[in-house]
Amino acid sequence: MEDTPAVQINHLVKEFHSPFRKTKVRAVDDVSITIMPGEVYGLIGPNGSGKSTTMKALLGLLRPTAGSCYVFGKNSLKTDSRQEIGFLPENPYFYKHLSGEETLRFYARLCGMRGKTLKNHVDKMLEMVSLQDARKRMVGGYSKGMLQRIGLAQALIHEPRLIILDEPTAGVDPVGSREIRDLIVQLKDQGVTVFLCSHLLEQVQEVCDHVGIIFNGKIVKEGPLEDLIAIEDQTEILLKNAGPRTLARIKALITDSENAEFVRMGKPRTTLERLFLDEAKKSHPAAATTDQKGEDHA
Amino acid sequence: MRRNALFSPARILVIASHTFTHLVRMKVFYFLAVFALLMLAASFFEMPWSRTTEDTAEQELIVLKSTAMGAMAMFSVLFAIAATALLIPKDLEDRTLYTILSKPVPRLDYLLGKLLGVLLLVGVSLLLMNGLLSIILHFRTEELLMVEMAKAEAHGWPPEHLESRLTSVSQQGITWSLQAGIGAIFFKAMVMASLALLISTFSSSTLFTIVIAVVIYFMGHFTEDARNYWLHSQSGGVTKEMKILTQGIALIFPDFQLYNIIDSTIEGKEVPKGIFTRLAILTLFYSGIYSVLSWFTFRKKEF
Repeated sequence: MEDTPAVQINHLVKEFHSPFRKTKVRAVDDVSITIMPGEVYGLIGPNGSGKSTTMKALLGLLRPTAGSCYVFGKNSLKTDSRQEIGFLPENPYFYKHLSGEETLRFYARLCGMRGKTLKNHVDKMLEMVSLQDARKRMVGGYSKGMLQRIGLAQALIHEPRLIILDEPTAGVDPVGSREIRDLIVQLKDQGVTVFLCSHLLEQVQEVCDHVGIIFNGKIVKEGPLEDLIAIEDQTEILLKNAGPRTLARIKALITDSENAEFVRMGKPRTTLERLFLDEAKKSHPAAATTDQKGEDHA
Repeated sequence: MRRNALFSPARILVIASHTFTHLVRMKVFYFLAVFALLMLAASFFEMPWSRTTEDTAEQELIVLKSTAMGAMAMFSVLFAIAATALLIPKDLEDRTLYTILSKPVPRLDYLLGKLLGVLLLVGVSLLLMNGLLSIILHFRTEELLMVEMAKAEAHGWPPEHLESRLTSVSQQGITWSLQAGIGAIFFKAMVMASLALLISTFSSSTLFTIVIAVVIYFMGHFTEDARNYWLHSQSGGVTKEMKILTQGIALIFPDFQLYNIIDSTIEGKEVPKGIFTRLAILTLFYSGIYSVLSWFTFRKKEF
């Protein structure tokens, strides 16, 4: 694995001038994050906790008051650093007068692509985000989910090594949200580093290796997801087809032991989202694979 | 990792062509229909004292040119200011600016691309209006020349008098000087677009940008008078600092009296090549200064 971190944020501080007060508002307070290549990092926190400000500083859209940000060893204030970054902002809007294909062509040309390479990349991205059928339609007529997917496609058009996603599933229905999560997992498998910002905790838990919790501009907890969510003094045993006698014997065994304490026994539960997706698949199989048709009527 | 160029003409062209497409798809060319109607109305105009004075034909052509070039000047300046003032705040509001600047796009490329796109639109609009004016002016001049020849025949004018009349009428037709005048209209729009770009880099609203740009546009027509009046009213007491200050103000506020060749070309006067070249250089200078100042403001702007 490459030694240079994909993202290195060192003691980042960002203060904003308050228009009617002499004091400054500190949006990000001494945040340090290191993300190694290939990792999926989730920055979670409530609204206004400093997630987007941290991302903007990493993209060079904001200048740090103190501290520094590096992308694959390049200072984020330099344009060079953005050759390796793909960014999807929260609730993106694209030029309404362009079609989906024209939008991708525009961003590809900005990244210096020309000719056959450009055409191939545009086709590949449209296929990846399942928008081939809507490629000639004006972006102004796209649904929220489609906008999010075209946004993801533009972020990936130049095959960046780092992708920054700000609330990628905000306002998207569960099926569309699942597709975006699947795309993130696909990117992870391809070795792309993902820096994800969200307040949807379940989503972060599903895709991220590392998590940082930011609150009032400060990182209050950070580390590998498995370590953070594990309850150290508890052990989970999952059984299949265990009869009442077996369960009673296990319970008795635990009661007899000196230190162990029986906490709970019952059937594991699925999530409401999983239930929704399963039902959607049963009643309308095509809708579960893509929300394309549904959105075309939106 | 390959190094990103500080300035890329190819990328500027990408942004410029996109800006042009954006504006075209906003249906701005509909104004050409208004211009065409205006031209048709002006071409049917006849002087109330028609055929009563010797230079009536010339006067009619001057009215036609004046109407056309007045509309061209108004449309081009209006486009230059409004389009430039609208583009950056709109990109920011829609967050498309984030997606552009998060690509390896230097901010200078973005600004110059937007400016070039607007100028492309103004240039194409002026070319189309110029084409329409030239066609109507050509037929109207031919018509008036025929009238003059008929008059000469009826009144038995001597050949040298007829020749002088024909030359005088032809001078009010399509000439290189007229094209120089239309070039000056483009230069004026170019200065205003660059100025609007500068204002929009620190302004928080499109309306503010448009209002300030329009105020500066009008001030620009009085810059020279104001400077001369101020310097002369301080006769004898003009210090070096005052001179530097006035020169500085003259640099910030463009002097549009220098663009008065537009009026001369409407009157059919010849514009020497040297004057047109000087005007072109001055326009580049103004636009260059405003573009550099825009970049200084925009390069550290936070979003």
